[in-house]
Amino acid sequence: MPKPSVIIVGSGAGASVAAWELSRTGHEVLIFEKGRNLLPGLGSKGKIGSLFGNDEVKPGRYFENQDPILEPRTGRTQKQARNGVARSFVGDINDLPTTVGGGTVHWDAKTPRFWRQDFKGLSLYGPVAGANVADWPLTYDRLSPFYDEVEKHLGVQGDVTKMPSATLAQAPRRRQFPMKPNPPMYGGSLLAEGARTLGYEPYPFPMAVNSRRYGGRPACNSCGFCSGWGCPINARGGAAVSWLHHALQAGAVLKPRSFVFRVDLSSNGRRAIGVSYLDSRGIKRRARADVVIVAASAIETARLLLMSATPKHPDGIGNRSGQLGRNLMFHFFTIAFGLFQDDVHAWMGPSTTVTLDDFVGPDRTPAASAAGLPYLKGGICEVGGSFPLLSEAGIYSAVPNTWGRQHKELMRLGMVRRHIAGLSMVGEDMPQEANRVDLDPEIRDVYGFPVPRVTRSAHRFELAASAYYGPKLAALCAAAPGSLGGFMLPVATLGELGTPVGEAFAGIASTAHIMGTARMGTDPRHSVTDGFGRVHDVENLVLADGSVFVSAGGFNPTLTIMALALRAARKIGGGKPA
Amino acid sequence: MPLEPAGAGSLRSFHMEVARRSILKAAGALGLLALVPLERLQSLAATAPGPGAAGRFLTAHEMATLRAVCARFIPGPPEDPDPGALEAGVPEAIDLLLAAFTFDPPLIHAGGPFSNRAGARRDDFARFVPLDALAELGWRIRIEGSRGIKRREFAGPVVGLQEIYRDGLAHLDARANSLFRMNFTALPGPAQDLLLSDQTDGDTQTFVGAALSNSLDAMYGPPEYGGNRQLVGWRYTAWPGDSQPRGFSRSQVSNAGPNGARLGPAAIEAAQRFLPAFVGRPASREQFWLARAGFMRA
Repeated sequence: MPKPSVIIVGSGAGASVAAWELSRTGHEVLIFEKGRNLLPGLGSKGKIGSLFGNDEVKPGRYFENQDPILEPRTGRTQKQARNGVARSFVGDINDLPTTVGGGTVHWDAKTPRFWRQDFKGLSLYGPVAGANVADWPLTYDRLSPFYDEVEKHLGVQGDVTKMPSATLAQAPRRRQFPMKPNPPMYGGSLLAEGARTLGYEPYPFPMAVNSRRYGGRPACNSCGFCSGWGCPINARGGAAVSWLHHALQAGAVLKPRSFVFRVDLSSNGRRAIGVSYLDSRGIKRRARADVVIVAASAIETARLLLMSATPKHPDGIGNRSGQLGRNLMFHFFTIAFGLFQDDVHAWMGPSTTVTLDDFVGPDRTPAASAAGLPYLKGGICEVGGSFPLLSEAGIYSAVPNTWGRQHKELMRLGMVRRHIAGLSMVGEDMPQEANRVDLDPEIRDVYGFPVPRVTRSAHRFELAASAYYGPKLAALCAAAPGSLGGFMLPVATLGELGTPVGEAFAGIASTAHIMGTARMGTDPRHSVTDGFGRVHDVENLVLADGSVFVSAGGFNPTLTIMALALRAARKIGGGKPA
Repeated sequence: MPLEPAGAGSLRSFHMEVARRSILKAAGALGLLALVPLERLQSLAATAPGPGAAGRFLTAHEMATLRAVCARFIPGPPEDPDPGALEAGVPEAIDLLLAAFTFDPPLIHAGGPFSNRAGARRDDFARFVPLDALAELGWRIRIEGSRGIKRREFAGPVVGLQEIYRDGLAHLDARANSLFRMNFTALPGPAQDLLLSDQTDGDTQTFVGAALSNSLDAMYGPPEYGGNRQLVGWRYTAWPGDSQPRGFSRSQVSNAGPNGARLGPAAIEAAQRFLPAFVGRPASREQFWLARAGFMRA
């Protein structure tokens, strides 16, 4: 009897891992991606090429990113939603790449694991008023073997001997990383020294970057065009090069520029029978399979299930709980930097090479009780980055009337580019029911379908946590050898809307971490999927991206997306570890 | 369950489709547009208009006004010791962007992965990446505007870059004439600055938002886009530019840069006062077209 056939919507982190697992174990796999392919040779027997370069202009011209002219998103605050404002922003919200390989074509490739406590937030630390805190229906220890397997195939560097004992107690590891760390970046090393003098424990950042030839791909040469830029030499692992490439070689079929607009259900509404899509010429088509996996990113997955409403699922597929689209989380970033007299060229390398976990929390401080909160949490830190040339020019130009001679002076000095080393904390957002994705009632995309509307406001948890950890980050930067001072930045993700266009949503647009909108859980009354991403009411419809996250954790989410996708796909296929 | 026949959407046929489409597009466009095959970067510089000449999109007078504007944004000698926007060919590069669709492939996305500046023999950047039908639609809307064409107005009307430049340059002349009774180009630098920096003039600031953003791209981006001639934008900033496939050595990555780049006392004082204000702002995201276009609806 042939194995069940599978349709996968999306080709990013979760989708590609599922495609790899299922094609490797003999399933027929058909993948739909609404973007183009920018990696010539992907899936061929030869080398994977790249159309990306050390080119600062191209990403700003929507080379890999979703073009907001074609596919805008709309936004508003919780307060505006309560007051009946349909939207206060149209354009670019959370501009993840729309291309084969998804966000990982230009990700920072940082691969921390979530901690044990992240899966059990409610039972360990209790509720938070105004937030929808819940436990995940699985534990770290259940996910751990999948983390191991993903790290091996993705190609991850790190050094377990340098990791703090607190980190290893929360995220135990059975073995050393497949590759040793990259050459340490100078600015990050200075901040790491500052951290150590204050008693913190910096260590080499685990990341999916080749420090030697691995998986048929070359070693990283620290060109400095990493987070936000496609890799010209494919030294960085990711959905396309680590997984999809091999899935296609094993027979999976990829349809780029194909926009899935509906998941089709059986007439009783209990089974997915396939999808309806527009092909690359805009012609409506259908495809049928035994299993449908949706992994289009938290925003697009929720949108697709909402658009797929039927009489049996009047509020969207799998929305009996009313939770579909809700609990959208982004991570609040809090940023500090140190100023140095030397050229610390903190842009040179794979974005950052140092991390620390000392601000992950929870911290039961007076600052928490003063805000009426049981505890505060921050997150993992990306230590020692800055910006390349054109980005630097863009930062200066954001202040009105600074063009002219002073622009030339600033650029000659290269203050932002050469003399600062930054530190960004991946702060944990609280899940809130009112932070959500729904369908915009008016605005349509180029395909003629309702665009996703994002309603969002920060919880006071994030505001209090940023105010609490920010000065600590700045103090760390000030303590670095040679530092002329440490500065903390007002955080864009915490800004409210209502300020001028481009400012207000810049924060959300610039966080590439999107989680929630279809949370997993054991109780169908309060969750959308089970612990394997299976939609409660539709047994053969599986979600395999960040949408199923129950909490945001204070960690870059992609490794966890991949581990969850591998676990979900193995449940479908019944395969054994490779 | 029969999946659709394998190969229908495979990568190979995708690439063939792109190739076929760009050939068809080129053929179909003959007679409407003089499509220029883009062989090499040198041909771009060689065909750039000289002073006083019309550009590929802008008229001779518009080019002259744009030159004056760019020279205020990024001044060169004698006002500043290092080459500026004029020396870098910034106005010509902006004109090329406005005329991007008179080239095939359009001058939107430079190719990859390498230029020939850091160890590769061939300049891949100079081979621009073809747009597929959807990407082309997006860029035609962005550059040409929606112009009442139904297929371009699915989310409302959009004013394109061409119109923003044409209107903005004319508006500068109108302001110059009403205040000083002469064209913008005839004004001395400080008077030009006065007009360009008027934050109460929304029309001017819409234009400045686009033109400054495009100027920075042309000054500091790869020269294949037509600006940054002789790499002047990278030389005066001591920026290595694209470094692939050579990259950087462990010693370069893990040690301080050359001593010449140390900050002096005055720069340190300035940095400590002003850096937080600069860095705390989101970078310019070139979203001028949203507010202007009726695309933004409350």
